[in-house]
Amino acid sequence: MDENDLNSDHVNSDTTVDDDDADCYYDFFIKGDDPMDPEDAKSHQGSGQKYTILNQADMRKRQEDVIAEVSTVLSVSGATATILLRHFNWSVGNVHEAWFADEDDVRKRVGLLDYDKQLSDVNAGDRASCGICFDVYPRDRIFSVGCGHPFCRECWGGYIRSAINNGPGCLTLRCPDPSCSAAADRDVIDMLALSDDDKKKYSQYLLRSYVEENKKIKWCPGPDCEYAVEFDGGGGGEDSWDVSCLCYYSFCWNCLEDSHRPVDCQTVSSWLSKNTDESETKIWILARTKPCPRCQKSIEKNGGCMHMTCNPPCRYEFCWICLGDWYNHGTCNRYNEAADVEADKNREDAEKYVTKYTHYYDRWAANHSSRQKAIADMQRVQSMQIRRLIETQGKAGYELLFITDAWEQIIGCRQVLKWTYAYGYYLPENEHTKRRLFEFLQGEAEKGLERLHECAELELNQFLVDYGRPSEGFREFEVKLKGLTMVTRKYFEKLVRALENGLSEVQVSGSEEIGQNIPMTSAEG
Amino acid sequence: MANSNLPRRIIKETQRLLSEPAPGISASPSEDNMRYFNVMILGPAQSPYEGGVFKLELFLSEEYPMAAPKVRFLTKIYHPNIDKLGRICLDILKDKWSPALQIRTVLLSIQALLSAPNPDDPLSENIAKHWKTNETEAVETAKEWTRLYATGA
Repeated sequence: MDENDLNSDHVNSDTTVDDDDADCYYDFFIKGDDPMDPEDAKSHQGSGQKYTILNQADMRKRQEDVIAEVSTVLSVSGATATILLRHFNWSVGNVHEAWFADEDDVRKRVGLLDYDKQLSDVNAGDRASCGICFDVYPRDRIFSVGCGHPFCRECWGGYIRSAINNGPGCLTLRCPDPSCSAAADRDVIDMLALSDDDKKKYSQYLLRSYVEENKKIKWCPGPDCEYAVEFDGGGGGEDSWDVSCLCYYSFCWNCLEDSHRPVDCQTVSSWLSKNTDESETKIWILARTKPCPRCQKSIEKNGGCMHMTCNPPCRYEFCWICLGDWYNHGTCNRYNEAADVEADKNREDAEKYVTKYTHYYDRWAANHSSRQKAIADMQRVQSMQIRRLIETQGKAGYELLFITDAWEQIIGCRQVLKWTYAYGYYLPENEHTKRRLFEFLQGEAEKGLERLHECAELELNQFLVDYGRPSEGFREFEVKLKGLTMVTRKYFEKLVRALENGLSEVQVSGSEEIGQNIPMTSAEG
Repeated sequence: MANSNLPRRIIKETQRLLSEPAPGISASPSEDNMRYFNVMILGPAQSPYEGGVFKLELFLSEEYPMAAPKVRFLTKIYHPNIDKLGRICLDILKDKWSPALQIRTVLLSIQALLSAPNPDDPLSENIAKHWKTNETEAVETAKEWTRLYATGA
């Protein structure tokens, strides 16, 4: 039986056994027709979690929708509804609740004045003096936001421009009179802004406010990504916060770091701060270096004899072993009980600790860069290889989707594998059974993923050559890659769940059973 | 030249400052730059600055009145909201500025700040600390500085 048969065999039996929970992990990955070119907001619904990727047009649409809703229910203008929503973090429910509880209070808080003072109350006659430039104008060139404080249209324009240039504070613009709290809403901006550029900036701030002050929406933190993600319910406990944006950045909606299943946000935060923490450097220095006995600079000995000479300007010469002055030295092989045993002990502990940390960090970082590479590879596969295969193998584009699936799986698995190293680092040393099980599962995961990665990356190449007719082995290759994708997916799903449960099976049934529960083909046997 | 294109608002404000000065405050534009004002504020009665004459400079940038005037004490003063370079911590000179405010209102606010120091929002940490831990002594120092630096002597 060859390798392909083994794989496909296993896949088939596996799918029939427990197909029902097959989509619990894989659904976090995008399954769109063409994820690079989103027509509409894309929803992702899996077991318990739901999120939607929004582009600029989607966000505007949603924003206009909630504005229209509040405007209709409260019978106020769209501009007024905008002010109310912005004040209540774009929550329609909170606006309604506050408004119907005490309308007057809400009006006062956001500067919606219910009185309609005429200009004549303040400045009798046909003409009024602008409170900014002090010039006198006919009434039609004077404007006030319902409070009666008169300012000319030109000064309003300048006032609006300087507020917009000062940042998002322009969204809460008030009457220029310092004692007045009457709001200048977006209708006022539209009417009096000096240029379209000002209006555009204002509208951009308004959109940003919708995303940034909205409790359910966040910007995708991916580099240069302009999408936002709306998260509905789920999260915490059994549910995952994982979100995969259309830009292929996948992240945790809760902490906005990289997707990090199976470890929790708290662990990620400690791990990441550890990676950047200077104290780690200090521990490294302590473990690998000794201080010069005269100037106290740290010295790393990277070879040679024990006669050390410190760098200029110190130039102190000493023995590396006992740190004594070289010229009064003689020998130091005799055991000296008074020697600083404590210091050596500290150094040993530190070294052990650093070695452990370096072990996990190296592997964490290696999977991270392997994932980055895979993302780049996938883009190359999509743009070149698939097109080539359509020519050489005479296939339709949709018949080759399994290749993209495989790459998405690789990218997802690299992410999981990467975080299992943080998981391993924090797994208590004394829980031996758990550690052994963990290392076994992680090892299997790594093997399986390597197999899939290799198949997708290398075995594909032979079919890119054009022999004028479809290659015979292509069908077999398809079956094998599909099989490996499926098996790896299922394995990783279960791995994630097992780790998220803190490997609780250890107490219940021991490592044997979980090992069997997680199917992973071993093609080479 | 800055003076040739002076906005009407600045001309009007200047005229009014000269014709109807606020009590205890004088402000006159410099001869070669009408946007630069020499200001004098008398220390308010019942304050540690009473009897002092404080010199300030005030400058109206191109953005004025959309941006606040720039004001600074030239006379040394012991005050928790004024630092040793004479810079003033006052909301209307920063984010609370409104183009409907004027030079006159700014100077009145500074005068009021002399009457009511606010050590909870300090610009000068040391002075503010002094003010909060031993107000009597801090007030004495302020009086001393007034006598030393703000009387014509």
